[in-house]
Amino acid sequence: MIQVKVCGITSLEDAEAAIAAGADALGFNFVASSLRVLESDAAAEISRAVVGRVVRVGVFQDAGAAAIAAHVNRVGLDVVQLHGEESPAFVAELPFPVIKVLPGDAEGIAQAAAYPKVDLLLDHPSGGGSGSTWDYAAARALVAAGRRIWVAGGLNADNVADAVRAARPHGVDASSGLESAAGKKDATQVRAFVANARDAVAAPTRPSASGYFGRFGGRFAPETLMPAVTELSEAYEVLREDPQFLAELESQRATYAGRPTPLYHAARLSEELGCKVYLKREDLAHTGAHKINNAIGQALIAKRMGKQRVIAETGAGQHGVATATVCARYGLDCEVYMGEEDTRRQALNVFRMELLGAKVHPVTSGSGTLKDAMNEALRDWSTNVRDTYYLIGSTAGMHPYPLLVRDLQSVIGREAREQILAVEGRLPDWLIACVGGGSNAMGLFHPFYADSGVKMLGVEAGGEGVDQGAHGASLSAGSPGVLHGSYSYVLQDDAGQIFPAHSISAGLDYPGVGPEHSFYKESGRAEYVPATDAEALDAFVYLSRIEGITPAFETSHAVAALRQRARDWSPETVVILGLSGRGDKDVAQARELLQGKL
Amino acid sequence: MSRLQAAFARARAENRAALIVFITAGDPDMETTAELVPELVRAGADIIELGMPHSDPIAEGPTIQASSVRSLAAGTTPDAILRLSTELRKTTDVPLVLMGYINNVLAQGEERMVQRCASAGIDGLIIVDVPFDDSENLQRLTQEKGVDQILLVAPTSTPERVMQISTRSRGFVYCVSDTGVTGGRQELPRDLGALVGRIQRVTTTPVGVGFGISTPEHAAQVAMIADGVIVGSALVNRIGAASSREEAIVSATAFVRELAEAIRTARH
Repeated sequence: MIQVKVCGITSLEDAEAAIAAGADALGFNFVASSLRVLESDAAAEISRAVVGRVVRVGVFQDAGAAAIAAHVNRVGLDVVQLHGEESPAFVAELPFPVIKVLPGDAEGIAQAAAYPKVDLLLDHPSGGGSGSTWDYAAARALVAAGRRIWVAGGLNADNVADAVRAARPHGVDASSGLESAAGKKDATQVRAFVANARDAVAAPTRPSASGYFGRFGGRFAPETLMPAVTELSEAYEVLREDPQFLAELESQRATYAGRPTPLYHAARLSEELGCKVYLKREDLAHTGAHKINNAIGQALIAKRMGKQRVIAETGAGQHGVATATVCARYGLDCEVYMGEEDTRRQALNVFRMELLGAKVHPVTSGSGTLKDAMNEALRDWSTNVRDTYYLIGSTAGMHPYPLLVRDLQSVIGREAREQILAVEGRLPDWLIACVGGGSNAMGLFHPFYADSGVKMLGVEAGGEGVDQGAHGASLSAGSPGVLHGSYSYVLQDDAGQIFPAHSISAGLDYPGVGPEHSFYKESGRAEYVPATDAEALDAFVYLSRIEGITPAFETSHAVAALRQRARDWSPETVVILGLSGRGDKDVAQARELLQGKL
Repeated sequence: MSRLQAAFARARAENRAALIVFITAGDPDMETTAELVPELVRAGADIIELGMPHSDPIAEGPTIQASSVRSLAAGTTPDAILRLSTELRKTTDVPLVLMGYINNVLAQGEERMVQRCASAGIDGLIIVDVPFDDSENLQRLTQEKGVDQILLVAPTSTPERVMQISTRSRGFVYCVSDTGVTGGRQELPRDLGALVGRIQRVTTTPVGVGFGISTPEHAAQVAMIADGVIVGSALVNRIGAASSREEAIVSATAFVRELAEAIRTARH
């Protein structure tokens, strides 16, 4: 795993923040001319507090051996880093582990052989601490020759992934690029720096064993469910690499769900907005939304696990319809929990589920929406856990659901990535998708995670306005908490009671969000904004008229955000919008809302 | 000896199980709970579980869901419950156990919450939606502050989990009688004795059985095999059905007297 060093630490607070972010090493600067120079007493205090938890590096420039030794002893240092003209003989005789700093150019690389046994840190050729970038790929030759190479100079959270991919170093080092003011580290940037450095090489993508993406996720479940949750985790770990399972999934996607879905160049929309917009047409998948991707995969898992009874929760009814569909297809018994309010808004989908042979339970507890449907499904699962498979529809819930659903929905982004490379010959500048629980957005975003040039925008339910009234914008306006088994952003009061959400769209009417989105938000990988009911309704009409495509109310939120953002973009800006579902289910509601206004 | 240990020791000395009763704090309001607790003790309750109402109680059946709604509507907060506990401690030594959901703990921070429980005279903490293997921090904090974290064993728990939970649980082991949510059952599961036995083989910590114990007959059956009998929904039902505070107290205490009597005579 790539090593991450945070240099120029000047306070215990910054040291702790770096350790919490996952840094492997901290640098204390003892160069008098540096902005971040530390007195040895101050360094010793920090050093004592972090001993054993992180590698402590002292940074020197042309100091004498005795001065270095005195610092090592007084402060407590594990490694010394030498930034001056220290000779090979001087370095060879120091009785401490050394990182020798060399310029990242031909001259520096030529000197490497003279310092054979130590780590090398390649810095900006014009000298350290300048903050500007250089051609990190120059380090590659030394890495290939088997040297332990660190790269530094101009690194920050935004460019570290590119630097890591260019240089493939042993470690990365940053200081000024992580600061909010000289000598003061910014915890958010440090977190993002560590996460992005790691994820650039390791697959970005695995939560920890108990299901944490960064600090979000987990398994907050009653004991009754824990064995079932563990059983599902174990089954999925095997199946996700089982060639037979994957082949069956692939063939069902192609012949039953209608994949790949097209990537459509929306020419009129592009002209109108002044940027190049592609729509990833999940509305053309079987049942009219992306939900089928997940439902097929989980139904195959349920079958493999020998569970005959399947339950699901649904908001807009799209996941309920998808689940009822696959249960009909695979001969499974299906029961769907749906908030009573939603059964009214989405009466057509209730009938579709019943038509497919599912039993729909209207849920009257709480606010009678998606949150309460999920509560009720969890209660059913607790009761019938031995023979029932709970087919969760979003990247929410306890581990392994956020991972499982993300993996199954990632087909959206994988296809889109190939398709855009085929037509544009390059990756997009932006991805845009709506976020309720977040499955269609994560399905689109995830395969682009390591492409640091691709920016991501998640659009939440702004409802009546995030400042004015009820909404469903957990990431934009909520705070971290536990809902439905995972720690993520939720809408809650000071005491930890969850607020009912509100949205014109039943599918976004949810006061929580999948934990991986919280991780994306905090690490800065994606940006999240709300769009209001009114903006979404407007976008619903707009896209219908300009492209002849009526999007779902959920998707309309993404369209609304696109219209706003496009004002700042140029005709060369390439955007992929996740068109997660078709709007037929919303036509009756829209007709009521729009009476006389069309 | 902690108050919880003393309560189980006293029951054991009388050759009976301890009666543990659950009410949702603040249902229908805090004044009722304040009056009710001493009355329940007088009627024969050995340990009181105070439910901390949560907006999304996924482990509860309709009865306790409804009581949570009533309590939240009356403005109940974790702060108010801790104030109540502080008040109760001035007049009673009955063990008080706080039962609730993790998000209400996280909202003020685990450490602060545990510290406040300790200061308010709360003896035990039951958090129903954190598995033991993911709550090391809470277990450490409760141990440091001298609050017993009571863990739950379920009928679905694997033998390894039964062992790990039983040996980590403090105060008592909460044995969930049946899969599913809280609330009344027609009869108790047949294999309940076996589950209790599995727990008792690996720990000397008392075992309390809850979920679905709705009648004095059920209570007597459980009293034959376990150290504690936990009754919640059946009691909460009586409080919910009452049309006044006085009626709620009369009805609840009458029921607790019946339960206590059934438990007292069960082993004789």
